[in-house]
Amino acid sequence: MKGKTIILVAFLAAMVLSAAFFAPVVQGAAFLAPVVQGAALPAWAGGPTDRMKDTTDKIIAIVSDPAFKGPEKAEEKKKSIRAVVDEVIDWEEMSRRSLGIHWQKRTDEEKREFVRLFSLLIEKTYRDKAEDYAGEKVNYVGEKIDGDYAEVESRILTSKNTEIPVNYKMTKKQGKWWVYDIVIEGVSFVNNYRTQFNSILSSSSYPGLVKQLKAKTEKAEAKQ
Amino acid sequence: MRGASRLRMDMRRNHMKKVPSAFLIQLLYFFLFMGLFFSSPLLVLAQEKGEEDQAQEEIMDVISDPFEPLNRFFFEFNDKLYFYVLKPIATGYKAVLPEPARVGVSDFFNNLAFPIRFSNCLLQGKGEGAAMEFARFIVNTFMGLGGFIDVASQEGFKKYDEDLGQTFGVWGVGPGFYICWPFLGPSSLRDTIGSVGDGFLDPVNYAFDEVIETLSVRAYYVINRTSLMLGDYESLKEAALDPYVSLKDAYYQNRKAKIKE
Repeated sequence: MKGKTIILVAFLAAMVLSAAFFAPVVQGAAFLAPVVQGAALPAWAGGPTDRMKDTTDKIIAIVSDPAFKGPEKAEEKKKSIRAVVDEVIDWEEMSRRSLGIHWQKRTDEEKREFVRLFSLLIEKTYRDKAEDYAGEKVNYVGEKIDGDYAEVESRILTSKNTEIPVNYKMTKKQGKWWVYDIVIEGVSFVNNYRTQFNSILSSSSYPGLVKQLKAKTEKAEAKQ
Repeated sequence: MRGASRLRMDMRRNHMKKVPSAFLIQLLYFFLFMGLFFSSPLLVLAQEKGEEDQAQEEIMDVISDPFEPLNRFFFEFNDKLYFYVLKPIATGYKAVLPEPARVGVSDFFNNLAFPIRFSNCLLQGKGEGAAMEFARFIVNTFMGLGGFIDVASQEGFKKYDEDLGQTFGVWGVGPGFYICWPFLGPSSLRDTIGSVGDGFLDPVNYAFDEVIETLSVRAYYVINRTSLMLGDYESLKEAALDPYVSLKDAYYQNRKAKIKE
Protein backbone atom coordinates (compact mmCIF):
# COMPACT_ATOMS: atom_id res chain seq x y z
CA MET A 1 0.00 0.00 0.00
CA LYS A 2 2.83 2.35 0.95
CA GLY A 3 4.79 1.64 -2.19
CA LYS A 4 1.70 2.32 -4.21
CA THR A 5 1.19 5.70 -2.60
CA ILE A 6 4.73 6.68 -3.52
CA ILE A 7 4.17 5.57 -7.10
CA LEU A 8 0.95 7.56 -7.26
CA VAL A 9 2.61 10.69 -5.92
CA ALA A 10 5.51 10.27 -8.34
CA PHE A 11 3.02 9.76 -11.13
CA LEU A 12 1.15 12.93 -10.26
CA ALA A 13 4.40 14.88 -9.93
CA ALA A 14 5.45 13.66 -13.36
CA MET A 15 2.10 14.80 -14.72
CA VAL A 16 2.49 18.28 -13.27
CA LEU A 17 6.03 18.59 -14.63
CA SER A 18 5.10 17.34 -18.04
CA ALA A 19 2.20 19.82 -18.13
CA ALA A 20 4.67 22.59 -18.82
CA PHE A 21 5.92 20.77 -21.91
CA PHE A 22 2.48 19.94 -23.13
CA ALA A 23 1.06 23.42 -22.74
CA PRO A 24 1.75 24.51 -26.34
CA VAL A 25 0.24 21.27 -27.67
CA VAL A 26 -2.94 21.82 -25.72
CA GLN A 27 -3.28 25.39 -26.80
CA GLY A 28 -2.83 24.11 -30.30
CA ALA A 29 -5.62 21.60 -29.74
CA ALA A 30 -7.99 24.27 -28.48
CA PHE A 31 -8.67 25.37 -32.03
CA LEU A 32 -10.55 22.09 -32.49
CA ALA A 33 -13.19 23.06 -29.96
CA PRO A 34 -15.23 25.52 -32.03
CA VAL A 35 -15.23 23.14 -34.97
CA VAL A 36 -16.69 20.35 -32.87
CA GLN A 37 -19.15 22.58 -31.08
CA GLY A 38 -20.69 23.44 -34.39
CA ALA A 39 -21.43 26.64 -36.19
CA ALA A 40 -22.78 29.73 -34.47
CA LEU A 41 -26.43 29.49 -33.49
CA PRO A 42 -28.96 30.99 -35.84
CA ALA A 43 -30.87 34.01 -34.69
CA TRP A 44 -34.63 33.62 -34.21
CA ALA A 45 -37.13 36.25 -33.37
CA GLY A 46 -40.63 36.25 -31.90
CA GLY A 47 -40.68 32.47 -31.55
CA PRO A 48 -40.85 29.99 -28.66
CA THR A 49 -37.25 30.64 -27.60
CA ASP A 50 -37.97 34.32 -27.13
CA ARG A 51 -40.96 33.43 -24.97
CA MET A 52 -38.81 31.20 -22.77
CA LYS A 53 -35.94 33.67 -22.61
CA ASP A 54 -38.33 36.39 -21.56
CA THR A 55 -39.87 34.20 -18.85
CA THR A 56 -36.51 32.98 -17.52
CA ASP A 57 -35.17 36.55 -17.35
CA LYS A 58 -38.26 37.67 -15.43
CA ILE A 59 -37.95 34.78 -12.95
CA ILE A 60 -34.24 35.42 -12.44
CA ALA A 61 -35.00 39.10 -11.86
CA ILE A 62 -37.56 38.19 -9.18
CA VAL A 63 -35.40 35.68 -7.31
CA SER A 64 -32.35 37.96 -7.43
CA ASP A 65 -34.30 41.10 -6.47
CA PRO A 66 -33.19 42.28 -3.01
CA ALA A 67 -36.66 43.79 -2.53
CA PHE A 68 -38.07 40.25 -2.29
CA LYS A 69 -35.57 39.02 0.30
CA GLY A 70 -36.72 37.90 3.70
CA PRO A 71 -39.60 35.75 4.96
CA GLU A 72 -42.10 38.63 5.16
CA LYS A 73 -41.81 39.08 1.39
CA ALA A 74 -42.14 35.36 0.64
CA GLU A 75 -45.85 35.57 -0.15
CA GLU A 76 -45.37 38.53 -2.48
CA LYS A 77 -42.48 36.80 -4.23
CA LYS A 78 -44.55 33.65 -4.63
CA LYS A 79 -47.36 35.64 -6.27
CA SER A 80 -44.94 37.37 -8.64
CA ILE A 81 -43.41 34.07 -9.72
CA ARG A 82 -46.84 32.51 -10.19
CA ALA A 83 -47.93 35.45 -12.33
CA VAL A 84 -44.92 35.05 -14.63
CA VAL A 85 -45.32 31.28 -14.84
CA ASP A 86 -49.06 31.57 -15.56
CA GLU A 87 -48.18 33.73 -18.55
CA VAL A 88 -46.30 30.90 -20.26
CA ILE A 89 -47.50 27.53 -18.98
CA ASP A 90 -50.67 26.01 -20.36
CA TRP A 91 -51.82 24.30 -17.18
CA GLU A 92 -54.83 22.64 -18.76
CA GLU A 93 -52.79 21.13 -21.59
CA MET A 94 -50.19 19.91 -19.10
CA SER A 95 -52.89 18.36 -16.89
CA ARG A 96 -54.68 16.79 -19.84
CA ARG A 97 -51.49 15.13 -21.07
CA SER A 98 -50.50 14.00 -17.59
CA LEU A 99 -53.82 12.33 -16.93
CA GLY A 100 -53.74 10.76 -20.39
CA ILE A 101 -56.72 8.53 -21.14
CA HIS A 102 -58.26 9.30 -17.76
CA TRP A 103 -58.80 12.97 -18.68
CA GLN A 104 -61.76 12.23 -20.97
CA LYS A 105 -63.67 10.46 -18.23
CA ARG A 106 -63.63 13.50 -15.95
CA THR A 107 -66.42 16.06 -15.62
CA ASP A 108 -65.66 19.74 -16.22
CA GLU A 109 -65.76 20.34 -12.49
CA GLU A 110 -63.26 17.52 -11.85
CA LYS A 111 -61.00 18.82 -14.62
CA ARG A 112 -60.97 22.32 -13.13
CA GLU A 113 -60.14 20.97 -9.68
CA PHE A 114 -57.41 18.75 -11.09
CA VAL A 115 -55.80 21.59 -13.06
CA ARG A 116 -55.82 23.77 -9.95
CA LEU A 117 -54.15 21.14 -7.73
CA PHE A 118 -51.70 19.93 -10.33
CA SER A 119 -50.61 23.47 -11.19
CA LEU A 120 -49.97 24.15 -7.50
CA LEU A 121 -47.71 21.12 -7.30
CA ILE A 122 -45.77 21.94 -10.47
CA GLU A 123 -45.50 25.58 -9.52
CA LYS A 124 -44.12 24.64 -6.11
CA THR A 125 -41.49 22.37 -7.68
CA TYR A 126 -40.55 25.02 -10.20
CA ARG A 127 -40.41 27.73 -7.55
CA ASP A 128 -38.12 25.67 -5.30
CA LYS A 129 -35.74 25.22 -8.21
CA ALA A 130 -35.90 28.92 -9.07
CA GLU A 131 -35.26 29.92 -5.45
CA ASP A 132 -32.03 27.92 -5.54
CA TYR A 133 -30.82 30.16 -8.35
CA ALA A 134 -27.22 31.18 -7.72
CA GLY A 135 -26.15 32.98 -10.87
CA GLU A 136 -26.16 29.94 -13.16
CA LYS A 137 -25.98 30.79 -16.82
CA VAL A 138 -28.76 29.65 -19.11
CA ASN A 139 -27.88 29.01 -22.74
CA TYR A 140 -30.45 28.47 -25.45
CA VAL A 141 -28.96 25.96 -27.82
CA GLY A 142 -31.72 25.01 -30.17
CA GLU A 143 -35.30 25.29 -31.27
CA LYS A 144 -37.41 22.86 -33.25
CA ILE A 145 -40.71 23.99 -34.69
CA ASP A 146 -43.15 21.58 -36.30
CA GLY A 147 -46.41 23.30 -37.14
CA ASP A 148 -48.09 24.27 -33.90
CA TYR A 149 -45.57 22.35 -31.79
CA ALA A 150 -42.12 23.45 -30.73
CA GLU A 151 -39.29 22.36 -28.50
CA VAL A 152 -36.88 24.87 -27.01
CA GLU A 153 -33.55 23.43 -25.90
CA SER A 154 -31.60 25.09 -23.14
CA ARG A 155 -28.61 24.23 -20.98
CA ILE A 156 -28.13 25.39 -17.43
CA LEU A 157 -24.46 25.74 -16.54
CA THR A 158 -23.99 25.00 -12.85
CA SER A 159 -21.14 26.02 -10.59
CA LYS A 160 -20.33 22.32 -10.32
CA ASN A 161 -18.99 22.19 -13.84
CA THR A 162 -22.03 20.37 -15.21
CA GLU A 163 -24.57 21.22 -17.84
CA ILE A 164 -28.19 20.40 -17.22
CA PRO A 165 -30.21 20.09 -20.40
CA VAL A 166 -33.67 21.58 -19.93
CA ASN A 167 -36.12 21.44 -22.83
CA TYR A 168 -39.51 23.10 -23.06
CA LYS A 169 -42.23 21.55 -25.17
CA MET A 170 -44.59 24.18 -26.43
CA THR A 171 -47.75 24.49 -28.45
CA LYS A 172 -49.20 27.47 -30.26
CA LYS A 173 -52.64 28.65 -29.25
CA GLN A 174 -54.23 31.88 -30.46
CA GLY A 175 -50.91 32.99 -31.91
CA LYS A 176 -49.00 32.50 -28.68
CA TRP A 177 -46.58 29.77 -27.64
CA TRP A 178 -47.43 27.92 -24.41
CA VAL A 179 -45.38 25.39 -22.45
CA TYR A 180 -47.08 22.04 -21.89
CA ASP A 181 -44.09 19.98 -20.77
CA ILE A 182 -40.65 20.53 -19.25
CA VAL A 183 -37.98 17.93 -19.97
CA ILE A 184 -34.99 17.92 -17.63
CA GLU A 185 -32.10 15.61 -18.55
CA GLY A 186 -34.42 13.66 -20.78
CA VAL A 187 -37.06 13.25 -18.07
CA SER A 188 -40.40 14.71 -19.07
CA PHE A 189 -42.60 16.10 -16.29
CA VAL A 190 -45.73 15.00 -18.10
CA ASN A 191 -44.51 11.45 -18.68
CA ASN A 192 -43.25 11.14 -15.14
CA TYR A 193 -46.56 12.26 -13.63
CA ARG A 194 -48.56 10.20 -16.09
CA THR A 195 -46.67 7.09 -15.01
CA GLN A 196 -47.37 7.94 -11.37
CA PHE A 197 -51.04 8.77 -11.99
CA ASN A 198 -51.56 5.55 -13.91
CA SER A 199 -49.91 3.54 -11.20
CA ILE A 200 -52.08 5.15 -8.54
CA LEU A 201 -55.25 4.86 -10.63
CA SER A 202 -54.62 1.17 -11.27
CA SER A 203 -54.53 0.39 -7.55
CA SER A 204 -56.80 3.16 -6.28
CA SER A 205 -59.52 5.37 -7.79
CA TYR A 206 -59.79 8.88 -9.19
CA PRO A 207 -61.04 10.32 -5.86
CA GLY A 208 -58.10 8.55 -4.22
CA LEU A 209 -55.70 10.24 -6.63
CA VAL A 210 -57.23 13.66 -5.98
CA LYS A 211 -56.97 13.03 -2.26
CA GLN A 212 -53.26 12.27 -2.60
CA LEU A 213 -52.72 15.30 -4.80
CA LYS A 214 -54.51 17.48 -2.25
CA ALA A 215 -52.46 16.09 0.62
CA LYS A 216 -49.28 16.73 -1.34
CA THR A 217 -50.06 20.33 -2.22
CA GLU A 218 -51.33 21.12 1.28
CA LYS A 219 -48.15 19.68 2.76
CA ALA A 220 -46.10 21.73 0.33
CA GLU A 221 -47.99 24.90 1.15
CA ALA A 222 -47.70 24.30 4.90
CA LYS A 223 -43.94 24.04 4.54
CA GLN A 224 -43.59 27.61 3.30
CA MET B 1 7.63 9.51 -16.84
CA ARG B 2 9.24 6.51 -15.15
CA GLY B 3 6.61 6.67 -12.46
CA ALA B 4 3.94 6.20 -15.06
CA SER B 5 5.43 3.08 -16.59
CA ARG B 6 6.01 1.61 -13.17
CA LEU B 7 2.43 2.21 -12.29
CA ARG B 8 1.33 0.59 -15.48
CA MET B 9 3.45 -2.48 -14.80
CA ASP B 10 2.09 -2.55 -11.33
CA MET B 11 -1.44 -2.50 -12.64
CA ARG B 12 -0.67 -5.32 -15.02
CA ARG B 13 0.71 -7.41 -12.20
CA ASN B 14 -2.43 -6.86 -10.21
CA HIS B 15 -4.49 -7.81 -13.15
CA MET B 16 -2.67 -11.15 -13.48
CA LYS B 17 -3.14 -11.82 -9.83
CA LYS B 18 -6.86 -11.31 -10.14
CA VAL B 19 -7.42 -13.86 -12.87
CA PRO B 20 -9.49 -16.39 -10.89
CA SER B 21 -12.04 -13.86 -9.66
CA ALA B 22 -12.12 -12.09 -13.00
CA PHE B 23 -12.95 -15.43 -14.57
CA LEU B 24 -15.87 -15.94 -12.22
CA ILE B 25 -17.21 -12.49 -13.01
CA GLN B 26 -16.87 -13.21 -16.69
CA LEU B 27 -18.80 -16.42 -16.27
CA LEU B 28 -21.57 -14.61 -14.42
CA TYR B 29 -21.51 -11.98 -17.08
CA PHE B 30 -21.88 -14.59 -19.80
CA PHE B 31 -24.95 -16.09 -18.19
CA LEU B 32 -26.57 -12.71 -17.66
CA PHE B 33 -25.85 -11.88 -21.25
CA MET B 34 -27.46 -15.08 -22.49
CA GLY B 35 -30.53 -14.30 -20.45
CA LEU B 36 -30.78 -10.89 -22.05
CA PHE B 37 -30.60 -12.20 -25.56
CA PHE B 38 -33.26 -14.81 -25.02
CA SER B 39 -35.71 -12.13 -24.07
CA SER B 40 -34.46 -9.45 -26.42
CA PRO B 41 -37.09 -9.56 -29.20
CA LEU B 42 -39.73 -8.51 -26.70
CA LEU B 43 -37.44 -5.86 -25.29
CA VAL B 44 -36.72 -4.33 -28.67
CA LEU B 45 -40.44 -4.09 -29.28
CA ALA B 46 -40.93 -2.38 -25.96
CA GLN B 47 -38.31 0.17 -26.81
CA GLU B 48 -39.60 0.96 -30.26
CA LYS B 49 -42.96 1.74 -28.74
CA GLY B 50 -41.13 4.52 -26.92
CA GLU B 51 -40.85 6.65 -30.04
CA GLU B 52 -43.58 9.03 -29.17
CA ASP B 53 -45.58 11.27 -31.32
CA GLN B 54 -46.80 14.63 -30.18
CA ALA B 55 -50.29 13.77 -31.30
CA GLN B 56 -50.52 10.39 -29.59
CA GLU B 57 -48.73 10.71 -26.30
CA GLU B 58 -51.38 8.59 -24.65
CA ILE B 59 -49.38 5.45 -25.40
CA MET B 60 -48.05 4.03 -22.18
CA ASP B 61 -44.31 3.75 -22.28
CA VAL B 62 -43.04 2.33 -19.03
CA ILE B 63 -40.30 -0.05 -17.99
CA SER B 64 -41.55 -3.45 -16.89
CA ASP B 65 -41.17 -4.15 -13.21
CA PRO B 66 -41.90 -7.79 -12.40
CA PHE B 67 -40.06 -7.59 -9.08
CA GLU B 68 -41.82 -4.48 -7.85
CA PRO B 69 -42.30 -5.62 -4.23
CA LEU B 70 -38.61 -6.48 -3.87
CA ASN B 71 -37.58 -3.30 -5.68
CA ARG B 72 -39.81 -1.24 -3.43
CA PHE B 73 -38.20 -2.89 -0.43
CA PHE B 74 -34.72 -1.92 -1.64
CA PHE B 75 -35.97 1.54 -2.57
CA GLU B 76 -37.06 2.02 1.04
CA PHE B 77 -33.73 0.60 2.18
CA ASN B 78 -31.80 3.05 -0.01
CA ASP B 79 -34.06 5.87 1.13
CA LYS B 80 -33.21 5.17 4.78
CA LEU B 81 -29.56 4.67 3.88
CA TYR B 82 -29.54 8.07 2.23
CA PHE B 83 -31.20 9.98 5.06
CA TYR B 84 -29.57 8.21 8.00
CA VAL B 85 -26.08 7.45 6.70
CA LEU B 86 -25.07 8.95 3.38
CA LYS B 87 -26.61 12.40 3.75
CA PRO B 88 -25.15 13.13 7.22
CA ILE B 89 -21.69 11.97 6.11
CA ALA B 90 -21.85 13.91 2.84
CA THR B 91 -23.12 17.01 4.66
CA GLY B 92 -20.20 16.88 7.10
CA TYR B 93 -17.78 16.27 4.28
CA LYS B 94 -19.27 19.21 2.38
CA ALA B 95 -18.70 21.45 5.38
CA VAL B 96 -15.04 20.49 5.50
CA LEU B 97 -14.11 20.55 1.83
CA PRO B 98 -15.02 23.56 -0.32
CA GLU B 99 -16.98 22.98 -3.49
CA PRO B 100 -14.16 23.51 -6.01
CA ALA B 101 -12.13 20.78 -4.29
CA ARG B 102 -15.09 18.39 -4.37
CA VAL B 103 -15.69 19.16 -8.02
CA GLY B 104 -11.98 18.43 -8.54
CA VAL B 105 -12.29 15.04 -6.88
CA SER B 106 -15.31 14.26 -9.02
CA ASP B 107 -13.42 15.36 -12.15
CA PHE B 108 -10.45 13.20 -11.14
CA PHE B 109 -12.61 10.08 -10.90
CA ASN B 110 -14.37 10.94 -14.14
CA ASN B 111 -11.05 11.36 -15.90
CA LEU B 112 -9.91 8.01 -14.56
CA ALA B 113 -12.97 6.30 -16.04
CA PHE B 114 -11.92 7.46 -19.50
CA PRO B 115 -11.41 3.90 -20.86
CA ILE B 116 -15.13 3.19 -20.32
CA ARG B 117 -16.34 6.20 -22.28
CA PHE B 118 -13.69 5.81 -24.97
CA SER B 119 -14.43 2.12 -25.62
CA ASN B 120 -18.16 2.64 -25.65
CA CYS B 121 -17.87 5.52 -28.09
CA LEU B 122 -16.02 3.10 -30.37
CA LEU B 123 -18.56 0.31 -29.78
CA GLN B 124 -21.33 2.72 -30.74
CA GLY B 125 -19.44 3.88 -33.82
CA LYS B 126 -19.05 7.39 -32.48
CA GLY B 127 -15.66 8.24 -33.94
CA GLU B 128 -15.91 11.89 -33.05
CA GLY B 129 -16.85 10.99 -29.49
CA ALA B 130 -13.90 8.63 -29.12
CA ALA B 131 -11.52 11.26 -30.48
CA MET B 132 -13.00 13.87 -28.20
CA GLU B 133 -12.77 11.63 -25.13
CA PHE B 134 -9.17 10.79 -26.01
CA ALA B 135 -8.32 14.47 -26.35
CA ARG B 136 -10.10 15.23 -23.09
CA PHE B 137 -8.14 12.54 -21.28
CA ILE B 138 -4.79 13.78 -22.57
CA VAL B 139 -5.62 17.41 -21.86
CA ASN B 140 -7.04 16.79 -18.39
CA THR B 141 -4.35 14.34 -17.34
CA PHE B 142 -1.44 16.49 -18.41
CA MET B 143 -2.86 19.98 -18.15
CA GLY B 144 -5.42 19.43 -15.40
CA LEU B 145 -3.14 17.98 -12.71
CA GLY B 146 -3.94 14.38 -13.47
CA GLY B 147 -7.63 15.07 -13.97
CA PHE B 148 -8.37 17.27 -10.96
CA ILE B 149 -9.12 20.20 -13.21
CA ASP B 150 -11.42 19.68 -16.16
CA VAL B 151 -9.42 21.93 -18.46
CA ALA B 152 -10.94 20.26 -21.50
CA SER B 153 -14.49 21.34 -20.65
CA GLN B 154 -13.30 24.89 -20.11
CA GLU B 155 -11.80 24.71 -23.58
CA GLY B 156 -15.09 23.54 -24.98
CA PHE B 157 -14.29 19.83 -25.42
CA LYS B 158 -17.62 18.08 -25.14
CA LYS B 159 -18.05 15.12 -22.78
CA TYR B 160 -19.35 11.87 -24.22
CA ASP B 161 -20.81 10.07 -21.26
CA GLU B 162 -21.20 6.65 -22.85
CA ASP B 163 -21.41 3.34 -21.03
CA LEU B 164 -22.03 -0.27 -21.98
CA GLY B 165 -25.72 -0.15 -21.03
CA GLN B 166 -26.14 2.66 -23.55
CA THR B 167 -24.10 0.74 -26.11
CA PHE B 168 -26.50 -2.21 -25.79
CA GLY B 169 -29.34 0.27 -26.15
CA VAL B 170 -27.83 1.68 -29.33
CA TRP B 171 -27.57 -1.87 -30.63
CA GLY B 172 -31.32 -2.24 -30.11
CA VAL B 173 -31.45 -4.04 -26.80
CA GLY B 174 -34.26 -2.88 -24.55
CA PRO B 175 -33.85 -2.33 -20.82
CA GLY B 176 -35.35 -5.70 -19.88
CA PHE B 177 -36.84 -4.87 -16.52
CA TYR B 178 -36.29 -2.44 -13.71
CA ILE B 179 -33.98 -3.31 -10.83
CA CYS B 180 -33.51 -1.21 -7.74
CA TRP B 181 -30.26 -2.45 -6.25
CA PRO B 182 -29.50 -1.99 -2.58
CA PHE B 183 -26.72 0.62 -2.22
CA LEU B 184 -26.48 1.17 -5.98
CA GLY B 185 -30.01 2.36 -6.71
CA PRO B 186 -31.99 2.32 -9.96
CA SER B 187 -30.87 0.15 -12.84
CA SER B 188 -32.25 -2.26 -15.38
CA LEU B 189 -31.24 -5.73 -16.44
CA ARG B 190 -29.45 -4.32 -19.47
CA ASP B 191 -27.70 -1.56 -17.55
CA THR B 192 -26.67 -3.89 -14.73
CA ILE B 193 -24.95 -6.16 -17.23
CA GLY B 194 -23.45 -3.04 -18.79
CA SER B 195 -22.07 -1.88 -15.45
CA VAL B 196 -20.42 -5.26 -14.84
CA GLY B 197 -18.82 -5.07 -18.27
CA ASP B 198 -17.69 -1.48 -17.71
CA GLY B 199 -16.15 -2.60 -14.43
CA PHE B 200 -13.49 -4.42 -16.43
CA LEU B 201 -12.38 -1.10 -17.90
CA ASP B 202 -12.42 0.84 -14.65
CA PRO B 203 -8.86 1.47 -13.41
CA VAL B 204 -10.11 1.70 -9.82
CA ASN B 205 -10.86 -2.03 -9.98
CA TYR B 206 -7.22 -2.78 -10.80
CA ALA B 207 -5.42 -0.28 -8.60
CA PHE B 208 -5.60 -2.18 -5.31
CA ASP B 209 -4.79 -5.63 -3.98
CA GLU B 210 -7.47 -5.71 -1.34
CA VAL B 211 -11.18 -5.62 -2.03
CA ILE B 212 -11.62 -3.43 1.04
CA GLU B 213 -9.34 -0.80 -0.49
CA THR B 214 -11.33 -0.75 -3.72
CA LEU B 215 -14.56 -0.54 -1.76
CA SER B 216 -13.19 2.32 0.35
CA VAL B 217 -12.32 4.28 -2.76
CA ARG B 218 -15.78 3.56 -4.17
CA ALA B 219 -17.41 4.67 -0.93
CA TYR B 220 -15.39 7.86 -0.97
CA TYR B 221 -16.44 8.49 -4.55
CA VAL B 222 -20.09 8.05 -3.60
CA ILE B 223 -19.77 10.42 -0.62
CA ASN B 224 -18.07 13.03 -2.78
CA ARG B 225 -20.69 12.69 -5.50
CA THR B 226 -23.52 12.87 -2.97
CA SER B 227 -22.03 16.05 -1.49
CA LEU B 228 -22.47 17.65 -4.91
CA MET B 229 -26.04 16.40 -5.30
CA LEU B 230 -27.54 17.06 -1.88
CA GLY B 231 -31.13 18.15 -2.23
CA ASP B 232 -31.75 16.52 -5.61
CA TYR B 233 -33.30 13.39 -4.18
CA GLU B 234 -35.26 15.47 -1.69
CA SER B 235 -36.81 17.57 -4.45
CA LEU B 236 -37.72 14.46 -6.41
CA LYS B 237 -39.47 13.09 -3.34
CA GLU B 238 -41.16 16.40 -2.66
CA ALA B 239 -42.57 16.66 -6.18
CA ALA B 240 -43.68 13.04 -6.41
CA LEU B 241 -46.95 11.43 -5.45
CA ASP B 242 -45.23 8.06 -5.48
CA PRO B 243 -41.44 8.59 -5.20
CA TYR B 244 -40.71 4.97 -6.12
CA VAL B 245 -42.61 5.22 -9.40
CA SER B 246 -41.25 8.70 -10.06
CA LEU B 247 -37.62 7.60 -9.63
CA LYS B 248 -38.16 4.47 -11.69
CA ASP B 249 -39.67 6.47 -14.54
CA ALA B 250 -37.02 9.20 -14.29
CA TYR B 251 -34.33 6.54 -14.56
CA TYR B 252 -36.03 4.94 -17.55
CA GLN B 253 -36.61 8.24 -19.38
CA ASN B 254 -33.10 9.52 -18.67
CA ARG B 255 -31.48 6.35 -19.98
CA LYS B 256 -33.68 6.40 -23.05
CA ALA B 257 -32.66 9.99 -23.77
CA LYS B 258 -28.97 9.15 -23.28
CA ILE B 259 -29.21 6.25 -25.71
CA LYS B 260 -30.86 8.48 -28.29
CA GLU B 261 -28.06 11.06 -28.05
